[in-house]
Amino acid sequence: MTEKTYDVAIVGSGAGGGTVAKELAPLAAEGRRIVLLERGPRLADREFTGREIEMAEKLYVDSGGFMTRDRTMTLAFARAYGGSTVVYTGTSLPIPRAVVAAWNVPGLAYDDLLARTRKYLAENNAHALAPELINENNRLFAEGCRALGYGCKQFAVNVGDCEGTGLCNMGCPKGAKLGTNRIQLPAAERAGVEVVTNCRVERIAERTLHATVTASPHGAPSPWPPGAYRVRAKLIILCAGAIDSPALMLRSGLGRDLPALGRYFTCHPALTLVAQHDRPIDNHAGFPKSYYCDDFADSHHFLLETCMYFPFTTAKSLIGFGAEHSGLMRRFDRLQMILALIHDQALWRNRVTVDRYGAPHVDYHFTDAVLEAFVAAMRVAARIFFAAGAARVHAPAAARFLIERDAKDRLDALIARRHLKLGRICIQSAHPMGGCCMGTDPRSSVTTPQGRVHGLPWLHVADASLFPDSAGVNPYLTVMALADRVAQNIREEAGALLAA
Amino acid sequence: MSDSQVRDGAAHVLSAADTALLLAVAGRVAPETAELDAAGRAGFVAVVERALALRPPEQRAQFRLFLRLVRWLPAPLYLRPFERLRPEQADTVLRWFQDAPVKLLRIGFWGTKTLVFMGYYGRPEIGPAIGYRPPFAGHDAA
Repeated sequence: MTEKTYDVAIVGSGAGGGTVAKELAPLAAEGRRIVLLERGPRLADREFTGREIEMAEKLYVDSGGFMTRDRTMTLAFARAYGGSTVVYTGTSLPIPRAVVAAWNVPGLAYDDLLARTRKYLAENNAHALAPELINENNRLFAEGCRALGYGCKQFAVNVGDCEGTGLCNMGCPKGAKLGTNRIQLPAAERAGVEVVTNCRVERIAERTLHATVTASPHGAPSPWPPGAYRVRAKLIILCAGAIDSPALMLRSGLGRDLPALGRYFTCHPALTLVAQHDRPIDNHAGFPKSYYCDDFADSHHFLLETCMYFPFTTAKSLIGFGAEHSGLMRRFDRLQMILALIHDQALWRNRVTVDRYGAPHVDYHFTDAVLEAFVAAMRVAARIFFAAGAARVHAPAAARFLIERDAKDRLDALIARRHLKLGRICIQSAHPMGGCCMGTDPRSSVTTPQGRVHGLPWLHVADASLFPDSAGVNPYLTVMALADRVAQNIREEAGALLAA
Repeated sequence: MSDSQVRDGAAHVLSAADTALLLAVAGRVAPETAELDAAGRAGFVAVVERALALRPPEQRAQFRLFLRLVRWLPAPLYLRPFERLRPEQADTVLRWFQDAPVKLLRIGFWGTKTLVFMGYYGRPEIGPAIGYRPPFAGHDAA
């Protein structure tokens, strides 16, 4: 067991950890010792090959196949230098004012979050892509929406010189996507923050982390040799995400005094819908996600976004098998895709737990509201596909594998709740949230509104696990804004928090 | 991987019989797998075995159990195991699993077909055949 001593230890390097590391870096310049422990590897640029299975194994927890306990939903989240910001598409949406109001966290003001959000929109170069960089898969979505009178908005995306490989979710092979691995972490390291990769934190004790460094077949070797470490720090900040932060606290026995630990887990359950055109379209080349439609966010609790996935991910998202499935896949160059994201509600029963080995599990119950939202989203998406000229549509809860154009007037009958069977359809999520939610009551929350764990002034949380309910939009910017807020509070109280 | 079997000098998650059954299922789920040559089949099986090897032991055991269920569930009706069913009979069996009244069986089938699709569509060499041609070279190579 090797002993290490720091003033501040940060666990995780994604949107939360990267932000905290950079925002606390001025303390390092003042002589404070700050370390960031990241479970995943630091990949060299040449290791981003874009190969689907290879990159999933390198970057995602369980190769992207982490499932809820009842195996009805897959949760995708990364472990790497940069965390999930390495694999997100970079779609940059501020959290809606109504969501912050509904969160009802004392002291958490929308205007303050928005100002911090704008800071990271600028810092990470989020902007709307020029029209010539928008491919046909995206343009068809916009055309379909406009033909139907639906609103269609363009995402700001945080990319540099995007070359349109379409491989964002496998880690950009051109280094164009500007996640924390490209912006905040290098800045923090330049200012003196140590980053230790391939380092899994096993347990937390009083101002102490028990961690293990392993040799990874990918990426640069960890700066610390493989082995067990005891890291002492005056202040510990958990930024390991909405599954691993609560799991780490639970396996450390912190759930005894925090009954809400792990609870109120939300994740924006999502379905991929696919349509086939009569001709090849530009789909996998070009930035995959440029537009969204939020016309139904308030009324039906779903968001539709453009998307384009890879062959295996697409194949498993389709219902069915055999010749009809193969026929659709064989003309991959004719496929248009839409992602339906559901704005789910936090429930006490939806939660992260750990098993006897300390491994995390997620219990997620699909409410009627979520299932109804899926059906409504599929019907609207199908209308958009047909309005964009698609010849046929594949919806996971339809009466038949393909709905042909001549049946487009019967979508409500063909896409119905009775066809939506859990375990039969491929529900995915890439937005885990909650589990260490903010609040004032230790019986129903885990941290204070400032992200400090109730009763443990040396332990803070600064990631998506703070969300008391789902964000309703892609969450990374809100994670950065909240982490910025947590870091500011720490900086302001550094004298007391880091006293010997 | 204490419960793995060793065959041909390498560690295997699946027995030879389970591999044969998986290939029979794969031939119905992704028909192109039935046309793979020996190297293609080996590549397919390698991807599936790699994926299984990375899963917790209980999930590997559940997968093997599900394969056995697929093998023998048709026997009372068709008087033969899955591998010896006619194509339309095999499809009927798989469709029953896909729409099974018990969620666990539907999940078992979804997991199995996911592995089949991973083994087939997850290999980069399949891309050109389906019209998928992203640049695979990494940053430095580009």
